[in-house]
Amino acid sequence: MEFFPGCMIHNRYPGIEKSIYYVFSVLGIEISPLEGSSCCPAPSITKSVSEEMWREIAERNLNLSDETIMTACNGCFTTLLEVGSEIGKDVRHFAEFLYRDVGIEEIRKKVSKKLNLRLAAHYGCHFFRPAEKKGVDSAERPKILDELIKAIGAESVNYRTKNMCCGGGGGVRAAATEVARELLEMKLEGLKEAEVDAIVVICPLCLFQFDTGQKELEKEGKVFGIPAIHYAQLLAIAMGMDVDEAGFEAHEIITQELYEKLLMGES
Amino acid sequence: MSLNSCIQCGTCIASCPSGRITALNTRRIIAEFISSGKKVEERDEIWFCVTCYACQERCPRGIEITDTLIEARRTLVRNKGLPGRLGYAFTFLMNHAALVPAREEHVELRRKLGLPIYHAQFDEKAKEEVRRIVEKHAGSVVRWSSSPAA
Ligand code: SF4
Ligand code: SF4
Repeated sequence: MEFFPGCMIHNRYPGIEKSIYYVFSVLGIEISPLEGSSCCPAPSITKSVSEEMWREIAERNLNLSDETIMTACNGCFTTLLEVGSEIGKDVRHFAEFLYRDVGIEEIRKKVSKKLNLRLAAHYGCHFFRPAEKKGVDSAERPKILDELIKAIGAESVNYRTKNMCCGGGGGVRAAATEVARELLEMKLEGLKEAEVDAIVVICPLCLFQFDTGQKELEKEGKVFGIPAIHYAQLLAIAMGMDVDEAGFEAHEIITQELYEKLLMGES
Repeated sequence: MSLNSCIQCGTCIASCPSGRITALNTRRIIAEFISSGKKVEERDEIWFCVTCYACQERCPRGIEITDTLIEARRTLVRNKGLPGRLGYAFTFLMNHAALVPAREEHVELRRKLGLPIYHAQFDEKAKEEVRRIVEKHAGSVVRWSSSPAA
């Protein structure tokens, strides 16, 4: 299996990659970096310029390997899965692979430090949509991430804006930043009521929107202070990885309280 | 399904996060296309779509709404260039094989975590391959959109 990092993981949140290698070594599954891979490229915005460009760059990436390609980003997953299905390549997303191939029972067995946290699952639109191309989980009633959260001993808390988009997709963050920020604020309002320790994502672009976006909102005097982390980081820590290997230096919003809970585990 | 099969039920706009705070209104876009032939690619507000695909998945007529907006953007880009910071993003893609390139601090963190540095941005041959593809399909649009005059 080869790991496709994409720009967001390779160039912004390498702690996600570190965590994935840790998780796979605990699970006894071989995985190595897909060398020379570029931007996937991001589906909606690249298709907004040229569909041929989108397909050709994706094909170049896919043709670097004959093995299964593993992603941990909803954008990379969309691009590589859609183009990969046209040219016979096997593409997986970390979260659905864990759920469907490894299984919740097996994950539970490998958890050495239960994390007794209140967590808010955020799937990200492109994990399951468009459904006929993805076929991984129900878009209206998804359950994969909720189950994965429970497997590490945490609670997956329901919240009012659970099904809402983070607001960062489709090029809106770059094309109209104020719209992305306003959507994020709506999403966070619902999250605030639920009083969670953190938002759990399975896409680094959602992570970026939650994390950097909150920093931007703070400049407008709107403070939420809700950390966002990728499920890979959480699972690796629950499987015994040192918290300082999770690359939280790259995150803007990490509370001392969360850090300590991750350090201690269930007490 | 063609836009003409729309029954104006409003499910799309009721599902649309951006529609709650911006001028983006998919139901109206389709209504005006049908009644007066106003083209989707004449509307700048389609840049407010976060491509969540909720409208497309829920449309009872199976209209490919999101994909229609993305397709219309291509014409908008040819006519008006890329909006906001998108021009820079594609300049990065052309020059660094990354819509989001790494800076020194990101490379540092990878080193600290003991991770290899293997993105095409750091591989001259791979980077050149990607640059050629971007140049072929979008070179002029990218240069135009990221020039100071745009
Ligand atoms: S959901 Fe479909 S049928 Fe209903 S208004 Fe929107 S495009 Fe028309
Ligand atoms: S895909 Fe775009 S138009 Fe459709 S619901 Fe989402 S944001 Fe609105």
